[in-house]
Amino acid sequence: MGLSSNSLSLEIAGRAVSGRPVPGKPQRPAGPYLLGIPALLLSSLLLIPVAITVVAAFRLPDGSFGLGNFAVMGDPAALHAVRNSVAWVAVALALVVVGFLLAVVSYRLPGLSSFLQPALVIPFAVSVLVSGATFRLIFDPAPERGTVTAVWSSLFGTSPVWLGPGLFWLVLVSAFGWTWLGYVVSLFRAGLDAIPDDVSRTIAAEGLTGLRRWRALELPLLRPITGVVTLTLVVAAVRVFDLVLIVVPGPMQHEADVLGLNWWRATSSGDNSGRTAALGVVLFAIVATVAVIGVRGLRRRRWAVPVSVVPADSSLRRPKPSKRVRRIGWTAGFVVSLFWILPAVILVATALHSPREAGLRGWWSLDGLGLSSFDAAASIGLLRALLSTVLIASIATVVLLVVAVPTAYLVAWGGLPTWLGRVVTSVFVVLAVTPVQMYAAPLRDAIDAAGLSGSRIALGLVHASAGLPFAVLLLRSAFASAPPMLVAEALQGPARQSAVLATVQRTYRPAVVAVAVLEFVLVWNDFIVGFLISGAGTTPLSLVLWGEARQFSTSAGTVAAAAVVASVVPAVLMLTFWRTVVRGLTIGSRP
Amino acid sequence: MIRRRVVLAGAAAAALTGCTPDVLGLSRSVRVAVSWGGPELRAFHRVLDGLGKLDYPVEVIPLGDDISTAFGARSGRRPDLVMLPQPGLVPLHRGELEKMPADLAERGRARLWDELLAQDGSTYGVPFKTAHKSAVWYRPSVFRKAGVRPPALWEEWVELNKALSTSGIRPLALGAGDGWMLTDFLENVLLGTAPGAYRALAVSTDPRASRVPEFAAALQRLATLWAAPGTLAGGVERSLTQQFPDAVVEVFGHRRAAMVAAPDFAEPVIRSFAADPSDVGLFTFPAFAAGAAAPVVVGGDVMVLPRPATDDAWDLLHRLATPASPAPWIESGGFLVDGRTTGYSPELDRLAQQLVAPGASLQFDLSDRLGELGGINGLWRVLTDLLVRVGNRGQDVVPEAVRSALEELAKVES
Repeated sequence: MGLSSNSLSLEIAGRAVSGRPVPGKPQRPAGPYLLGIPALLLSSLLLIPVAITVVAAFRLPDGSFGLGNFAVMGDPAALHAVRNSVAWVAVALALVVVGFLLAVVSYRLPGLSSFLQPALVIPFAVSVLVSGATFRLIFDPAPERGTVTAVWSSLFGTSPVWLGPGLFWLVLVSAFGWTWLGYVVSLFRAGLDAIPDDVSRTIAAEGLTGLRRWRALELPLLRPITGVVTLTLVVAAVRVFDLVLIVVPGPMQHEADVLGLNWWRATSSGDNSGRTAALGVVLFAIVATVAVIGVRGLRRRRWAVPVSVVPADSSLRRPKPSKRVRRIGWTAGFVVSLFWILPAVILVATALHSPREAGLRGWWSLDGLGLSSFDAAASIGLLRALLSTVLIASIATVVLLVVAVPTAYLVAWGGLPTWLGRVVTSVFVVLAVTPVQMYAAPLRDAIDAAGLSGSRIALGLVHASAGLPFAVLLLRSAFASAPPMLVAEALQGPARQSAVLATVQRTYRPAVVAVAVLEFVLVWNDFIVGFLISGAGTTPLSLVLWGEARQFSTSAGTVAAAAVVASVVPAVLMLTFWRTVVRGLTIGSRP
Repeated sequence: MIRRRVVLAGAAAAALTGCTPDVLGLSRSVRVAVSWGGPELRAFHRVLDGLGKLDYPVEVIPLGDDISTAFGARSGRRPDLVMLPQPGLVPLHRGELEKMPADLAERGRARLWDELLAQDGSTYGVPFKTAHKSAVWYRPSVFRKAGVRPPALWEEWVELNKALSTSGIRPLALGAGDGWMLTDFLENVLLGTAPGAYRALAVSTDPRASRVPEFAAALQRLATLWAAPGTLAGGVERSLTQQFPDAVVEVFGHRRAAMVAAPDFAEPVIRSFAADPSDVGLFTFPAFAAGAAAPVVVGGDVMVLPRPATDDAWDLLHRLATPASPAPWIESGGFLVDGRTTGYSPELDRLAQQLVAPGASLQFDLSDRLGELGGINGLWRVLTDLLVRVGNRGQDVVPEAVRSALEELAKVES
């Protein structure tokens, strides 16, 4: 019996069947299960604290169990925070829709994306904290300093107080949108680009146009990507915490309260731990609901078109658009990019002014240019904090890769029974969206008890553990989208496995790179995990927030300088690897 | 490809070179929690740099308004040394603090400080920085233009505001973004009008400010001042978005207002942002009746050691407690040492002398001593709401707004 694929061929020597056939289950080798052990250990860093929090939420002060702690939701302040958190989720969903529409526009107008791509990547690379600081600078209520205020009052005479009651929402949502819109557009765009032309031509030949065409073609094909995007944005929306702290002036902060903040204030003011745990559980329930609905798209895959290794015949591609369309696209792309990159320009320009000048006047001022703001930022221990951030992010990334790749392999190809595969995937989906409030308090107590408080290694491990679910899900999709042939061959023996692994490495490297880059950047930009687990001062960004931004406007130069320094590494990483990251993020979602 | 390798190699190299035990978080550094930010934080770093070579790394944790979380039972990494900006919190946390040794204890028993820091012969903290919270900074050029002089009586101040606004100048910039700016204002009014009631509230174990008629009267006076149309530069909304340095910049940098009530530590902000450094004047809160003592509200940062303290933390405390240690900060301005009256800028010399002058009505900051009632969800919120209800709106709204403020306060008290 012979089996051949590509250039390799395998001979299998058969032997005569002797004795009677024995009915039985197929043998499942136990070996692959070992691959899951590291993941189990790492995940227990989250699972155990989450379990403790859930138990604490239902345990009443007298030791019995009940729903008494959830009476905290009757507290108007907590209720207000829940409402705001739900509103943030709605903002995230709206952003997905807007991003999708923009992706369609950019798909129809080729040429648009050549400039737009870097302009969209940079906001995603910098932390929410940095974009919050940037937008607070832009909307500063003093016409001498605030860009929008200056423009508005020169046009209309007076300007509303943008950071004032009610209006601060605009600043918050702008900052959030600026950060995430590029990510949404890029992913949808990649999804649209990946639609095979022959499929779209078939649909066109059937005479489907307009909305009907959308329902038949684009929407189902983009469903997996929609799942990934929705998941990321909902998690980000629920994580909103530092953004409020840095953007909203003190007196309005209770108006802008979100569940995460409410939880933090409750824990730090020594509130009853059962009640704070209940708050965490409520937060978790909100995210989990939205996420589960969102990721249903990840499973429902109607099309199973193999990944094409051979580039399609170019004569069959989409017809090249006319020169006019390209020119329109080019111009529009240039203008939009300039506008989109403006906040980053404003941040850098502010940082290049002396602290005095940046506190008095806007970024357009020509006085006081120089690097003295960077000097001031360096004098508050920024460099040392940067080093520790490098360390934490590196540990987290390395540990994550070492653990996630075998686990994803196991889940995708390890021959797990179907039910177990489903359970594992579901657990990871739930863990992926678990808010940090669910595990921060028990984990922090445990780390303190172990005498590891302040250890960057412990923090790195926590980050790796928090990043594991998303990484496994992403890699699993990537592995699972392998041509079924390859998988079948891999299961036939070790010799084939190594050959297959070589193919995997070639084909699925983007997913691995995506996981590594995203983890490094997310950990680098993290505020909330480091802050809740290790306290302020561990990361450069928390130094920016808690040190300089305490007196925002008069520290504008230093804040901007520190923000620029903190953003260089993630921005360079993202710009360098962006194409690979997008490929990696969408590879498993390819129709 | 080469670019990527360079990036990765650079990251790896940086990670390796940075792996000192200190950065790893393994060596035990002394963690100092402070509430300072911006220039003050930088000044404190200079103070630390001036201490000479230390055997241990020092980590400064800026906690801002959340400094009281430094004591929380579940505060994660508990700081080793807290520069507590609310000495009024010390009596509430005595059980968690180290007692000061004899050589330092004396300083904690200085005038005013003793009732907060000392109990039963033990002292629980050492004053580091003293704050004069009854100062008003103004621009003399504007006063000259409007033909007015710094007020000696509260009524004169009210008149002065009127005179300035009729000559087209906004009298006051208010940094309502910092809740303590509002409580300081109120405390000055209360201390000036009813020192007895102030004192009673400060030492009460169960303060019920909403039931004290003098307190209501002080709210009324304050609301009257804020309510006068045209008094607040930028209106209420701008005031709410302004922190105390922003209000200072409004007066001296952008010159949109004539004065700002701000403590001595506004000085470095004024010096760095004033458009005309020579156009800076200072008066202190006026008396409320002829012959009455002018109010002086005192604040400060006190060094306390959460128990149990390490040897390194004790060493740092001793070094910071030496009289020479704050020299770099005094040089950059906005720093008063308890008991020392000279060697500052001329303005701060005046403030320092008032702090030791006989006959002044001196009291420690009240809001710190009211516990949660004086904090961010108590008096801060109540006064912010009061400001929103009355700011620049005229006197008609004042009685109703004061009533709501008292109701709100009563809710917090229960």
